[in-house]
Amino acid sequence: MAVKTVTAEELRDRIQNGEPLFILDVRNESDYQDWKIEGNTVQSLNIPYFEFLDDEDVADDQLPDKNTPIVTVCAKGGSSQYVGEVLDGKGYNVASLKGGMKDWSQVYSDTLVYQDEKLKLFQINRLAKGCLSYLIVSNGEAAVVDPGRHTNFYTQLAEREHARITNILDSHVHADHISGGPALAKQHGADYFITTSDLQGTPPFEYKALEEHPFIHFGDVEVEVLALQTPGHTPGSVSFFINKQFLLSGDTIFVGGLGRPDLGGKAQEWAEMLYDTVFHQLNQLADDVLVLPAHYADKSEMNEKGLITAQLGTIRQNNQAMQTQEKETFTEMVASAASTKTPPNYEAIIAINRGEKVTGEEEATELEIGPNRCAVHHHG
Amino acid sequence: MKADMTVDAKGLSCPMPIVRAKKSIDSLNTGEIMELITTDPGSVKDFQSWVKQTKHELLEHKEEDGVYTFYVRKG
Repeated sequence: MAVKTVTAEELRDRIQNGEPLFILDVRNESDYQDWKIEGNTVQSLNIPYFEFLDDEDVADDQLPDKNTPIVTVCAKGGSSQYVGEVLDGKGYNVASLKGGMKDWSQVYSDTLVYQDEKLKLFQINRLAKGCLSYLIVSNGEAAVVDPGRHTNFYTQLAEREHARITNILDSHVHADHISGGPALAKQHGADYFITTSDLQGTPPFEYKALEEHPFIHFGDVEVEVLALQTPGHTPGSVSFFINKQFLLSGDTIFVGGLGRPDLGGKAQEWAEMLYDTVFHQLNQLADDVLVLPAHYADKSEMNEKGLITAQLGTIRQNNQAMQTQEKETFTEMVASAASTKTPPNYEAIIAINRGEKVTGEEEATELEIGPNRCAVHHHG
Repeated sequence: MKADMTVDAKGLSCPMPIVRAKKSIDSLNTGEIMELITTDPGSVKDFQSWVKQTKHELLEHKEEDGVYTFYVRKG
């Protein structure tokens, strides 16, 4: 008897709709600790599939009643189907996630952040990876900020909004996911913007240097390119200040903390640059500016609408490092808080995003498996 | 290493390599050795975790050109 399956898109919609779900993740414990499916109404349990080989009843006393929907999850969908069949045979209301975490890593979801007569701003969440990108629509034109490599999603969203994609902006060379920027620009004949200092060489794709375009206009929108130095992957990161209302902050500042300064092997130096960003540049922006980052690390950063955003004033207030005016203490705090775990495959991903390395679909999917690990977690 | 039984799970993906291994080792006598050959990188960590929670003992494992070989003594 074959168990029901649920696609990654269906699962996304059910989670977004706030449906209570019980996830039985049957991968081994370390993979589960690394990254898993989360949501405000999601309950999650980890029992590796091989435990069911010895004892089919192993999960019984930890599972919900037989009416509650259970979704089994594994890496690629094979083992979750096996466990799904075991539970189905016992009368549970179970479905197996088709394609497992591999498919889940490729699902995006869009939520409207703001709209007025001049612009509409969407946040696009790649749920499994905690990667955020943005679509800004104004007067029939659209700009995409920090797109992931599944460019169809952005094309379809722009079509739905009856807008033509004319500008694509990357806040920096990403280390945790492959950028959709160059491909999307080519597909739409749009301009692709990124900093020259981040590329470190001449890439095989066309781009406009953000260093030479401090302001970008489209529709009724003015994008001010703020060279907020981000420590982290490379020193050429910028943030985008949209109509002096929204700060698309890339990896500089997150809802729950600051960007990690250690991925370039210069944690101390970049932590000092971050200090200057926080105290000499960010402090000039008003408290009611809405921060929209490129990542989140934890679902606690998500508000009740499913958006990852906060006012700059609130972030300042809640972040211990940002209240530490003393430079030495600040750099020490930030440099030491970076996790020892780096984003999976980040060196290969950076090489691809700089155009130094070419990759196929299968390899790209494999490289991107796993969480983003770009934020600094401040414990306590 | 000499094995009393070889399980060839080449080309199979999760959960089959471990399902086969479990079935086969159940038919062995305590102390006998099973050899498992698999090409699924995903099942490598899983196989080690599985052996750990059984009474069996992982004697050796090696990788050569994408082929993983494990020797397990039945406990």
